[in-house]
Amino acid sequence: MTKVYVGMSGGVDSSLTAALLKEQGYNVTGVYMKNWTQDLPGMKCPWADDLADAKRVAVQLGIDFKVFDFENEYKHKVVDYMIEEYKLGRTPNPDIMCNQEVKFKLFLETALEDGADMIATGHYARVENGVLKQAVDTNKDQTYFLYRVTEEALKKTLFPLGEFKKPQVREMAKERGLYTAAKKDSQGICFVGQIGIREFLSQYVEQVAGPIIDKKTGTVLGQHDGAIFYTIGQRHGLDLGGGLPYYVVGKNMDKNEVYVTTDLNDDTLWKPVLDLINVHWINQTPTEGEFTIRVRHRAALAPATVNFEGDTAKLVLDNSERAVAAGQSVVIYDGDVCIGGGIIA
Amino acid sequence: MYLDHAAATPMDPKVLVAMQPYFTDDFYNPSAPYSPAIVVRRAYEAAKDSIGHAIGAKGEEIVMTAGATESVNLAFNSIGGHVVTGNIEHHAVLEAAKLFEHTFVEADPRGMVTADSVKAAITPETRLVSIALANNELGTIQPIRDIAEVVRKEREARLGRGDHTPIYLHSDASQGVGQLDVNVARLGVDLLTLNAAKVYGPKQVGLLWSASHVELKPQVRGGGQERGIRSGTENVAGAIGFAKAMELASEHRRYESDRLSKLRDSLESKLTSAFSDAVLSGHRKHRLAGHLHISFPNLDAERVLFALESRNVLVATGSACAANKGTRSHVLTAIGLAPEVADGSLRMTLGHLSNDENIAKAAEIIIEEVTREYERVRAR
Repeated sequence: MTKVYVGMSGGVDSSLTAALLKEQGYNVTGVYMKNWTQDLPGMKCPWADDLADAKRVAVQLGIDFKVFDFENEYKHKVVDYMIEEYKLGRTPNPDIMCNQEVKFKLFLETALEDGADMIATGHYARVENGVLKQAVDTNKDQTYFLYRVTEEALKKTLFPLGEFKKPQVREMAKERGLYTAAKKDSQGICFVGQIGIREFLSQYVEQVAGPIIDKKTGTVLGQHDGAIFYTIGQRHGLDLGGGLPYYVVGKNMDKNEVYVTTDLNDDTLWKPVLDLINVHWINQTPTEGEFTIRVRHRAALAPATVNFEGDTAKLVLDNSERAVAAGQSVVIYDGDVCIGGGIIA
Repeated sequence: MYLDHAAATPMDPKVLVAMQPYFTDDFYNPSAPYSPAIVVRRAYEAAKDSIGHAIGAKGEEIVMTAGATESVNLAFNSIGGHVVTGNIEHHAVLEAAKLFEHTFVEADPRGMVTADSVKAAITPETRLVSIALANNELGTIQPIRDIAEVVRKEREARLGRGDHTPIYLHSDASQGVGQLDVNVARLGVDLLTLNAAKVYGPKQVGLLWSASHVELKPQVRGGGQERGIRSGTENVAGAIGFAKAMELASEHRRYESDRLSKLRDSLESKLTSAFSDAVLSGHRKHRLAGHLHISFPNLDAERVLFALESRNVLVATGSACAANKGTRSHVLTAIGLAPEVADGSLRMTLGHLSNDENIAKAAEIIIEEVTREYERVRAR
């Protein structure tokens, strides 16, 4: 019997994943990955409830349950990476890094060492022979977060939810009486929790006030408390009073300056060409040509001509994309196959 | 099927009825000068007198608090000095003790802190000895009278050599009060902590009794209520509820202890005959009537807890706090349970909600679920 270790987070998706695999005849073990969380003195750790829920479902299903402690690695590979990227003035995606470094590397390796034949997660994606495909539920599709996973890892991975739509998943969880069937989906970056990215970052970087400058006129419009906290395209949090909304169109990390405009047609807000670094192809390197791309999770697929050299790529878009920041990932699709992607230079 | 009365007790409806008027009609501030307020103040004082009566003390010797944890902290912070307490005490006591020079006396494997071991731990600087009347995890009842005797002798010896360093005995009797006779004079304590929530009264209501020779230090300053020890408008309804709960406990104590120990014994014998390698912890004889601590070696108690929960049987694994932190109970480690035994431990505490029928049913379900877990573990 194939032995599968299912990453169980205590949410409905991974709960149903474990249930379905068990029904399909796999020998299933549930694993809670203990990632890094911020410990606030005297407060109950926020992950305890999720761990308990994951374990409850494992007990319900009568499957083995383990806790893998990845706290140090997660802090090092995901949290520190994110903070460093922000310090460089970029907008990183920690979920992508988590999949690359933790779930589909460390978790996979640890599971295999522990006797597993395969791993599974509750991601909305499909995998066939090491090829990553979009989920049937295109609205929930999570391949954007998975483009840096390797083919070898995917060959040992199951994504049973890729065939279903989210409402079906809830329904199936309910039919099976799973403890987590009605549990609310988690939002945002897990380790940042409820406090928000800005407050989270401000614990790691000094808040230094700097000017907010109108890009066109050069006038100083107000003060910000650190260019690090701003992202290209951002509208909120500028606190510049009434009138037309201002958008961030640039920043200078060395000078700690943030540039804004009210002009929605500003050329820095719209990118006709995207330069990628750290390009990763899941399977073999594709032939240059026409593909579709996605600049953020759930963004519509946009046609583009892709040329590449080494681990860099140049994407020429049919229509300009709005507000693409350095550090952000661009994922490339060939039909419904996710072939890889890279990071905005 | 609620088997966790040591964690919380359902408030007795009679307690609720007694409290209700003080939330609405009789809401006056007991410190106000007009007559409706004076009526409330008298009712508050009468409630404290009544609680005092139940423990053989005077109402004026009692400081009302917001629960046992506060009472314990008030006792420690008032007296300080070198403190002696048990290594199986509740976190409230252990954490309060850590603020001072302290010695944690080792409990024996039955969870008992003997008078001799306390005696050995007392130094010339010791000012406070604090031992709970009954351990909250194991239910073991401590030899408080013997320990009081040790403290009394130490006090006399000090006076004999002209040393006026005081030494007091504090006991947290929260766990015992529904089932044991708690009388400050008979116990020989100088300070006593009680908690209404463990005796079918309201939560966030507790008290610290102290003998007249003990000087308490104010922790909360303000308008001078509670003899200036704990300022703040009195929780009148809470005190009224506590008094009623204590009155009901005194009334039913003997009958209830008999009833619960029979129920507990039947549950215990069903479980031990179904699982011959199950380990019982706690003192066989000196144990709270409703308390059963049982370990199923090599099982994960939390899994059993979740399996039981899904069938409406609510139990505890170790102490509630320890379970939440995902760490092994310090009590079980202290009494020397092997990790594979400690990790398979369930605490079942019976009380008002327990009866023949639901305990028999609970025993059946526990046997089924523990069997299922053992089968899963063995199939691996």
